[in-house]
Amino acid sequence: MEQIQIPPVDLAVVAPLITVVGWAIVLLLVDVFFVPAGQKRITGYLGIAGLVMAGAVAAPLWGSDSSTFGGMLVLDNFALALTWIFLLIGAISMVIALDYLPRQGIEQGEFYPLIMFAVSAMMLLGQSANLIVMFLGIELLSITLYILTGFAYPRLSSEEAAMKYLLLGAFAAGFFVYGIALIYGQTGTVQLFSTAPGQESLAEYLGRQTFAAVDLTLLLVGSGLVLVAFGFKVALVPFHMWTPDVYEGAPTPVTAFMSVGTKGAALAALLRLLDMALPSLQPIWLPVLATLAAVTMLLGNLGAIAQSNVKRMLAYSSIGHAGYLLLGVMTVSERGVQGFLFYLLAYSLTNLGAFAVLIALEQRGEAAWSLDDFAGLWQRQPFLALAMAVFMLSLAGVPPTAGFVGKFYVFMAAWEGGLGWLALVGMLTSAIAAFFYLRVIARMFMQEPVRDVQPQLFRGLTLGISIAAAGTLIFGILPTLLINVVQQTALAVGR
Amino acid sequence: MTIVIQIIFALIAMLILGSALMMVLAKNVIHSALWLIASFFGVGALYLLLQAEFLAVVQVLVYVGAISILILFAIMLTRAADLAGETGRQWNNRWWLSLAVAGLLFGALIVPTVIGETWNVAPTEVAGAAAGQATGIAGAAELGRGFVYEYLLQFQVIGVLLLVALIGAIVIAYDETARRRRVLTLAEELELKKRQEAREAKEAKQSRKGKGEKPLPAPVPTDTLSKGNEGNEGNEGLVVR
Amino acid sequence: MLTDFLPILVLFLVAAFIAVFVIVVSSLLGPRKSTARKLAPYESGMEPIGPAITRIPVKFYVVAMLFIVFDIEVVFFFPYALVFRELGVPGLIGFGVFFLVLIAGFIYEWKKGALKWE
Repeated sequence: MEQIQIPPVDLAVVAPLITVVGWAIVLLLVDVFFVPAGQKRITGYLGIAGLVMAGAVAAPLWGSDSSTFGGMLVLDNFALALTWIFLLIGAISMVIALDYLPRQGIEQGEFYPLIMFAVSAMMLLGQSANLIVMFLGIELLSITLYILTGFAYPRLSSEEAAMKYLLLGAFAAGFFVYGIALIYGQTGTVQLFSTAPGQESLAEYLGRQTFAAVDLTLLLVGSGLVLVAFGFKVALVPFHMWTPDVYEGAPTPVTAFMSVGTKGAALAALLRLLDMALPSLQPIWLPVLATLAAVTMLLGNLGAIAQSNVKRMLAYSSIGHAGYLLLGVMTVSERGVQGFLFYLLAYSLTNLGAFAVLIALEQRGEAAWSLDDFAGLWQRQPFLALAMAVFMLSLAGVPPTAGFVGKFYVFMAAWEGGLGWLALVGMLTSAIAAFFYLRVIARMFMQEPVRDVQPQLFRGLTLGISIAAAGTLIFGILPTLLINVVQQTALAVGR
Repeated sequence: MTIVIQIIFALIAMLILGSALMMVLAKNVIHSALWLIASFFGVGALYLLLQAEFLAVVQVLVYVGAISILILFAIMLTRAADLAGETGRQWNNRWWLSLAVAGLLFGALIVPTVIGETWNVAPTEVAGAAAGQATGIAGAAELGRGFVYEYLLQFQVIGVLLLVALIGAIVIAYDETARRRRVLTLAEELELKKRQEAREAKEAKQSRKGKGEKPLPAPVPTDTLSKGNEGNEGNEGLVVR
Repeated sequence: MLTDFLPILVLFLVAAFIAVFVIVVSSLLGPRKSTARKLAPYESGMEPIGPAITRIPVKFYVVAMLFIVFDIEVVFFFPYALVFRELGVPGLIGFGVFFLVLIAGFIYEWKKGALKWE
């Protein structure tokens, strides 16, 4: 038996990941041993500290371009940017959950380690260059989210949401595995692209030979199945049926977390798959994805119009936003990648903020989420109303908010990528979307209160909303701050 | 030799497909679960035929041994167990749509796999087989090496995945207040049931006597059972019928 | 090689034969006088009560779930046991980390009280 070479494990590549996972495991034990019941927000503080520390660990890695575990895990600026976005998402979700959980009577210390596990899964997805690793990342993320969705245990809608999510998610996982099997069956590899000379990978395989589409049947069918699985996770339109129910039933901080985190992580993985492994097949997958994106933008936003429940409306609108994000994914270009990152950050801040405002309106047993409840919010809680207005404008893509710059970026990428019609569809649907976003603003500022709603603000919630609103405005007014950063990311991906 | 293997394969395939079909068609959901176990077992035999003996053992150990028990437990947690045998077929209204989708998917998957000549065997495996080395990638020793070298990352992620699953089981299904609630033995449960029946009979007699329209008290037999926290009655599974 | 499993196949065939044989022979030769008492399921003298399929407490499910998690964990250790000398220190580290992660889970569930029955 010949001795197998030990692949050198480059700890720098996995340092942020290990920090988050290790901290989460320790936090789990600390919580169960030392944190008394009723004071679980201490766990929350510690969890936030862990995420901040992981961000600090990741900081000196900027600019590196390395891989480890036999090239299965890569660290480039794209992955690092994603890592920071996911850490930020996790931290804000925890901040807004600090007061939410005790107020809802569902405070359990496991919430915070679970969020950290989910964040680590997202980071894994952002870094993976291997289909198996991708699958494990998606599974880790999904299982964590099933648990978090059902976290509001006695509330039936939460259980129903968890059940629906679990059943459809498990189905999607089956598609993913079958897809991988077929891809492997044809190519003999599950590595996306080679990180070392001589390493077999999908990109190598496709680069080596010139095929007619007929010869690629297995690969194409497999990729199709993988795409279906991603569609489920991201809630692209033919696979979006679960989204409104799950997002409405899940505890609000969890909804906020998964509406931005899952989409970002899954689409980042899809971006790597399409842009780095299968770019030569673009003529085949581009029409499919373009159609999906168009339908997603249209139906997501049209569905949102009909909603009078703001949480459900945001669920539908998040479907629409998945379509906009997809625009950045499908144009194999630096502009597309930059647009994707910018849009992801802008959308994350905005959506987290919007859901945080919903938390302020939610009390145990009753949630004041209908449009009527927003009427006259300006007179009661000017801060909440102003913040919500900023978020709604950003979601609608109105300057001077980050949402506008993000939309501009992805539409430009689509336009340059020869998808002018898709950019037009995007603009059209943005106009449709503006209707229901502005409706909320109109209710808040121009109407008298209809119902007796007492919004409650706590320190953590105020902080979360403030960060989100400030980020939305700053990146909207001074987008160059962020653009300079994201422009450094594209190089690594486009190699 | 190959003809024998083909016959065995045909038998195993029939076992898997037949029991899978029966699982879908069975009227009683418990019977479905039992058919599923048979199907799992067939898959294990298939692994053996593919010379993946470790996977075969794992299949029997984990799926036939553990997952199926979990499935049975899960069924018996629900009211479906109460209805077992009384329910009709599990058709829903749009079964034809499911049939069409399933048929299309099956076609899309089976046609390229059968017609396509594009199956590729990784060169390393061919080399390994030619050199007569260990039993392919699925040999247990090979897996052990893989976990430490080639697939170290996946292996560790699986560890975290299992940990999360464990947390999930406890967070979702384990109720800390339930620790104080005793689980009744079969005899105690029977005793409760008899007592309740007696009381019901008494009440029925009373109401027949025409003592007015006194509303029936809630049928909660003893304090041990009524101590549920709000909103999760019916989740405890301890319903005395 | 596949021929290694021939004894298993033979064993299956023998088992199947015995099962069929016993049923056929007893149905051919055995007397058939069924009484109510004979047809009743045997429960060690206890009076059989109700259907066997009843709703069970969720606790069973928790235990089963925890069992599966550790079952799968143990399955991963079988391959290691075969080659642990060959793998040496790297193997110890790799499996040690895996083991520690799950031990953390074990401590957690123990402290949480999920292993207590009452």
